[in-house]
Order: sequence, then structure tokens, then C-alpha cells
Amino acid sequence: MSNIDRRTLVKGSLAAMMAGAAGSRTAIAQSSEPILLGVSGPLTGPNAQYGTQWKQGFDLALDEIQAAGGINGRKLAYQFEDSQSDPRQSVAIAQKFVSNPAIVLELGDFSSPASMAASPIYQRAGLVQFGFTNSHPDFTKGGDFMWSTSVSQADEQPLLASYAVRRLKLKKLAVLHLNTDWGRTSRDYFVNAAKEYGAEIAVTEGYIAEERDFRSTLVRVRDANPDGLILISYYSDGALIARQARQVGLKQVICAASSVYSPKFLELGGEAVEEVHVGTRYFPEDPRPEVQKFIAGFKKKYNGLEPDAFNAYAYDAMNMAAAVVRIGGTDRKAIRDAFTKVKDVPSVIFGQATFDVATRRVKGAMNAELVVRKGQFALWDGKPT
Amino acid sequence: MSSWLDYTINGLIVGNVYALVAVGLALIFGVSRLINFAQGSIYLVGAYIGWVAVVQLHTPLPLTIIVVAVAAAIVGLIIERFGLRPLQNSVRIAPLLATIGISFVLDQLVMLTFSPNPRALPSQLPDVRFQVGGGTIGPLDLLIAGVGLTSALLLFVFLRYSKLGWAVRAASQDRDAAMQMGVDVNRVNQAVFGIAAALGGVSGMLVGMYYNQIDTAMSLQATLKGVVAEVVGGAGNVPGAVIGSLLLGLVESYGVAVFGTSYRNLFAFLLLVVVLVLRPNGLFASARQAPPEPLTGTFIAPSRPVRIPRWALLVAAAIFAILPLFPVSFYVLQTLINAWLLGMLALSLTLVAGSVGQVSLGHAALLAIGAYTSALLSLNFSVPVGFAIICGGLMSAALGTALISPSFRLRGHYVSIATLAIGEIVSLVILNWESVTRGPIGISGIPPLSLFGYDLISPNSIYWFSFVVMVVLALLQGRLLGSHLGRSFRAIRDDDIAARAYGLSLNRYKSLAFIFGGFAAGVSGGIAAHLYSYINHETFNTQQSILALTVVILGGLGNVVGAIVGAVALVGLPEVFRIAAEYRILIYGIVLLLLVRFRPQGLLGTM
Repeated sequence: MSNIDRRTLVKGSLAAMMAGAAGSRTAIAQSSEPILLGVSGPLTGPNAQYGTQWKQGFDLALDEIQAAGGINGRKLAYQFEDSQSDPRQSVAIAQKFVSNPAIVLELGDFSSPASMAASPIYQRAGLVQFGFTNSHPDFTKGGDFMWSTSVSQADEQPLLASYAVRRLKLKKLAVLHLNTDWGRTSRDYFVNAAKEYGAEIAVTEGYIAEERDFRSTLVRVRDANPDGLILISYYSDGALIARQARQVGLKQVICAASSVYSPKFLELGGEAVEEVHVGTRYFPEDPRPEVQKFIAGFKKKYNGLEPDAFNAYAYDAMNMAAAVVRIGGTDRKAIRDAFTKVKDVPSVIFGQATFDVATRRVKGAMNAELVVRKGQFALWDGKPT
Repeated sequence: MSSWLDYTINGLIVGNVYALVAVGLALIFGVSRLINFAQGSIYLVGAYIGWVAVVQLHTPLPLTIIVVAVAAAIVGLIIERFGLRPLQNSVRIAPLLATIGISFVLDQLVMLTFSPNPRALPSQLPDVRFQVGGGTIGPLDLLIAGVGLTSALLLFVFLRYSKLGWAVRAASQDRDAAMQMGVDVNRVNQAVFGIAAALGGVSGMLVGMYYNQIDTAMSLQATLKGVVAEVVGGAGNVPGAVIGSLLLGLVESYGVAVFGTSYRNLFAFLLLVVVLVLRPNGLFASARQAPPEPLTGTFIAPSRPVRIPRWALLVAAAIFAILPLFPVSFYVLQTLINAWLLGMLALSLTLVAGSVGQVSLGHAALLAIGAYTSALLSLNFSVPVGFAIICGGLMSAALGTALISPSFRLRGHYVSIATLAIGEIVSLVILNWESVTRGPIGISGIPPLSLFGYDLISPNSIYWFSFVVMVVLALLQGRLLGSHLGRSFRAIRDDDIAARAYGLSLNRYKSLAFIFGGFAAGVSGGIAAHLYSYINHETFNTQQSILALTVVILGGLGNVVGAIVGAVALVGLPEVFRIAAEYRILIYGIVLLLLVRFRPQGLLGTM
């Protein structure tokens, strides 16, 4: 067996040398070929909607990058491979990307099982896996080639808890959360922060992603007698819960995590989401230039469509990738090192994004406290609802 | 105490929603003894046609219902005419696979046409709420209940008192006899598919309005819950399907009340298993009703397997064995590694499904048990990886056999449904048993594959490792099937009554098959866990089980070489179609349908 490993080692390093040589040659020649990023994400299957949202965000960012002259005169482009968020396919895609010397950086995957199954391959091959929706606390522990701009739930949930407890003065909370790695981690951070701020957690209920009927869950919530409902949900299930809560006669204040921040939440929830509070990372009237540029550009490109949180993550991720490639060139290892050097990249979510080299994540997400009024997200004016 | 009233009402409301799907499934099962996995897709199509009618054409509600019913019925007729009728005289399992293929195609078409984003489907009924208990119900609840009950009642009357209804029942009892008596069986099938599809389409639309939300993922969930409800009520029994649905809704609601939301589906599937074990014909089957499956095993018809000369197999094995020495990309190797892992699962399934006739739809559970066992042993107890994988296989064999053993007395479709339920139960237990499995957070940092202290991390070494394991398992299985044991297995599959009369203990042989099959699947799961380094309850899902069954049927049931060929084909095809991006699953579905149509006994034939 040691013999096999030695042979592959030799083969692998040969390939790396060739890739390196190819990379430096193109860098010198200022080739007209675009610099290629690999994207592994769902375009079909149950999570297909998120893959399409990524594409919208990526394409907008790329238009702007190209308009600004590209990367040192070269175009930036991506190759999107559909993984269905299935670990079996994401590992094959990983091998495809790492053995294609043209790919300088990888983005994705969407779900934790698919992303983290591919991590060992990226790590061993030395290609950065840049997971921008990977909030799983162990994602960046996969190795020094795993980087993430996903908002750490350790950052986000205390902000939401502060909104609910300190600003809305809620004292007794019911927490409904998606029973996934993201929902579970978020719930734990939220509960800790809310308790620290002096609130009592009356009940927590985890539900699976396919769930559509929440009436019985809401009876449990009602019996716990909370004065506020916290939704750690995506927009589709968040809208369902809000509707059914109103239907079964719950009139408590509802406060939701930023993942519901989407025009779809308003469309799917209708009147039931009026007065729902949402802690988000940006809001449409935010005067920050990066937000205004993003929203105006998005509406222009997509016929007036409002962007949502996943569009923003993808847009930010592509801008970050461009910033990193500007520093690191087309050498994979130099790109990894560029993540430690890149500073204050304009970002919708973070304002200015700089990686914490120890955790390989970005700290300090922005905070905006919104409420739904007349079918629109608006900045909360501090008036009780 | 008033909460219990609310839980009861909520259970009935959601049961109502399940009933709409279950009635359509029951009708089709009643006539063609077929679990129509495409019913959920018709439901999806109905929801989106409803969306077009309501949001784009602004039709009033009665017209919307008619439009949706007619359009869905047409879809149903097309499915019947071009998808299922050509398979009439082929193996009984072929139509089942065809409905799975059709559901892929329909779901993908809807997704491509309407994009996968969820949409709002506004209700066209006035928004008044009636106070009932602690909550309220709206007019849509009443409409859904009305449609469910009326359609069940109408169907009941139709089946009992109309001439076409008699024909339907005659055809369901004995197709050939009905045909001899001059019943136009094709017309009966058409009528049934048309009605069931119309009902499915309307129910999709109503449920979409109920939740004000439609999306392409609703299809599989609808089918799953509908199948549970239908079987609880007694497969093929239309009024039973309604009552089964209400019961399912109640059990789920009380489950949430007592244990919490996260346990909800656990109760649904436990209910199913309990009913299947205690009353396999459903709760409302009458004693004199004929068993719903034929007495002899025509479920899997034997065919002449393709004989592959030994030298050809040896050459093929040798080529695959030396493949990594050639300059093939790691991507190709990784794809083949996936194929070998799926091949092990398929070997396991082809043994229990093909050789013994227990068609399992929950095989991914065996992967999960093997994967978790191996991952936890190596992480928590520092067991060497190679040994941990073997332990995973053993655990899968033991636990899998223990879980399935209560359903050994079931036959045909019922085995499939029971295994489907057991698969879901295993996944939900993994989700909820946090102290051991770490729940939704999953297990990360699983050590890489290693053997005798050497890490196998290069694609070449992983390739060789998984290839050798698969070949060894395949050789063992081939040896097993060639022995006296293999003949006993096939005897049980082909005619279990005759087999019993010859003194074969059915349960013992079924256990043996599941022990061997469980081991192969568990090993595959164990290897996957160390390959991925991270697993959670979603890694091994229902889609995996369905994929495994597709592989096995494609390769030829019971056919060892077929299982491996099928695995390579079904891992390879979606990768080959990768160039087609969003269209690749659609193309895959169509290819699958064509294969079933022109080669229902599988590529290499049933052994």
C-alpha cells in the first residue's frame, strides 16, 4: 500500500507542477482566457431554488467586475456543476475541479453533507473550497483550504436575541427551528443569548424541512404561553408557520431570523406576515453604497425583482472571490494565502469583509431591524406592535 | 384539556389533506395492483396548472377546478397510454419502475417550466374563519373535506352500482377472467387513470391554496404520505383510504402533542408498520377479501439471463483493476468509486429483492446504520478504520434483519411499503437520538480510510480498495446463489407456498438473505462515511433507496453482474449528461423509461 501512495504522490506532484507551470505561464502571458472558478451547487433536486438564486447573485457581481475591467484585464467566469446537494455528486465534482488546472478556486456546496464530504478532496489537492452558505461550525475545521463568508450563527443569533429581548421587550419565548445542522446550531446560540439578556425560553420545537403543517406544533406553542415566537426558518417554511399561527389564533409577536428575508416571504405569507419582525444584515433603504449598488443593479438586471438573502450571499461571495484572485493571481496556493491578506472588501452583508485567519470566517455582520408593514420590509421605527 | 380537542381537530384537518392523494392511489391500486409513484407528480402538475389558471388567467374557482381536473386527467391518460399500457404483459415490477421514471420526468418538466422557486397560490374563497376549539377553520378546510369525502363516496357508488364500476372491480380481481368475459380492460384502466389523475390534480391545487404555497418538492412528500394513508386503510379500498388518512393525521397530531414536532413522521411510519404487521390487508379489509397479491410469485417473472462468458468477466475485471495505472482523471475514478459503492448496495438489494423476492424500498437505512456504526466506533473508541467498517457491516446485518423480521410474513408490494417505512424510521431515529448520533449536526471529522495503519487517501488507493471489496462481495454472492441455499432462495421467490410445502423455513431463509445483504450494504455505508468525513441524517435518504432499486431492476433482478452493470450505468449516466445542466435529470428519467419499456427484465435479465 505504501508503494501505491508513493506512486500517486509522485503523479500528484507532477500534476501540481504542471498546473503550477501552466498557471505561471498564463499569468505572464496575460492570456485572454477567462479566470475560471468552479461552483458546486444544486440546480436540480429539492434544493434547486437556492442554486438558481446563487446564479443570479453571481451573474450580477460578474457584470460589475467585468465592467470595471475584470481581473487585471482578464475576465472572471464560473463553471457551475449541478450536485443536487448530494454528497455522492459533490465528491465527483470536487475531483473534476481539482484535476482541471484552469479552476483556481471553488465555491459551494449548499448543504453541509454535500460540502463537507468534498472538503477532504479540496484540502488534499490544495484548492480553496470557499463555502459561502456553510454555517456548520465544523466546516472551516476541514483544513486550511476551507474558507467561509457564511454569517457565523455565533454572530447572528445574539443580534436576533437582542432585537427580540432588548428592543421588543419579549420576556418568554417559543423558538421554532428547522431541525438541520444550521437550525440546530442557530437555536443553541439564540437560546444562550436570549437567556443572557434575561428572557425565558418557554419551548423549542424542531421541525424537518419537508414539514408543511404546523397547526399541532402551534398548539404546543400556545400551551407554553409565550409572549413571542422566534422563527429560525427559511422563507418558505417561515411563511407557512406565520400563516398557520394566525389561523389558529396566536396573536403573539413573531420575530424571524434573516434567512426569511426574501420577497417570497411576503408573497407566500400574505397578510399573515404583517408586523413580523426580521433581523437582517441589510435593508433596501440602507444608505451604504454597496447595498444601494447591489439592490439597484439587481433590480435593473432582473426586471425589478427584489433580491433576497441568498442572492446577497452569492453576490458577496463572487466579489470576495474577485478580490482574492486579484491578490493571489491564478496559483491555487497563492489564492489560499490571499484569503489571509484580503482586507475590507465591500460587502452587502458585512459592510467591509476581512477574514479572521484563525477561524477562516468573517466576523461582524451588519445588523438591521426590520418589520413587515403594508406588505413591505421597513426599518422598525421602535413603535411596539 | 381543550388542547386535546385542538390536536384532534388539527389531526383531522391534515388527514383531510392526505385523503385527497390517498383516494387516487387507492383507486389505481384497486385496479392495477400498482403503487403509482407518479400520483404525487400529477398532484404537482395540478397545483401549477391551478397557478396558471388563477394567477395568469384569473379564472373563478369552479372553472379553475374544471380546468385543473381536465388537464390532469389528460396527463393521466397520457401516462396510462404511453407509459404503462405497453408494459401490460411484462414483469409486474416494470410498471412500478415506470411510474418512478414518469414522476422524475414530470417533476423536472414542471421545474424547468416554472423554475424551482416556490410560488404563492392564493385561495379564491372568501377569507372567513370559524372558531372551533382554540383555533379556527376556514372555507378551504371544508372544501377539501368535501372534495375528499364526496369523491370517495362517488367512487364507492360508481364501483358498486355502475356497469363500468363492475368492470373495474372485475378487472381488479382477475384481469384475464375479466377479459374473457368481454370486459375491455384497457378502457377500464383508462377510466381509472383519468379519474385518479383528475382527483390528484385538483387535490394538488387545493392543497397549494391551503398553504398558499406550491413548489416542486411537494411531489415526493405527497406520494409518501398518500401511500402510508392508503395502506393503513387497506390498499385498493377507497373509503378505507379516507379513514386511513384521517387516522394518520390524528396519530401525527397526537405524536406532536406528546413528544414534540421532531417526532411527527416517526409516528406516521410506526403506525404503518404496526398496521402492516398486524393487519396486512389494512384496517378495513373484510375477512373474505382475497389476498391483495397473487398466491404465486408473479411479481418477478423469470426471464432468460444473458450469459456472459467467464473470460469476458475476467477481462472486464482486469481492465477495471488496472484502470488507475492509465492516465485517467481523478474525476473518472471518483465516479467509478461512487459506482462501486452503489454496486455493493445493489448487490445487497438484488439478493433480497431479486433472489428472495423481498423488494425493499428502504435500503438506504442499511447504509446509514453501517456508516454511523463505523464512524462512531472509529471516532469514539479509536477502532481501526478497516475493522470499524466490518463492524458497520455486521451491525447493519444484525439490526437490519431484526427491524425487517416482523414484516417477513408480508408479500409483494407490502414488503416494499414496510421497508420504505422502516427506512424512514431509521432516518428519523438518527435525527432524534442526539446523545448517540449527534442529531442534525451530524458527525464530522471521521478519519479517512485506512488499512493496517496505512491511510488510503489518494483516489487510486480508494478506487482499488472499494473495487476489491465489491468484487469479493460479488464473488461470495455468486457462490452463494450457485449453492443449495441460492436454489432455496429462488424457490421462495417463485412460489413460497410450494417452498414451504417442501419444508423450507421461509423466515430462516429470508433472515439469511437479509443478513448477507445487510452486511454488504453496511460495508458500503461504512466506506462512504470514511470517504466523506462528514455524515448526517440526510446523507443516506429515500432517493438513495429508490436509486438502488432502479439499479437492481435495470441490471436484472437477482443478477449479480447486472447489479454492478446497473450501478455503473446509473452513476455514469447523470455524469455523462452533466453537459445538459438543468436538463440532465429529465434526460435520465426518459432514458430510464425507455429502458423499462424495451427491456423490462433488465439489461442482463432476471436470474
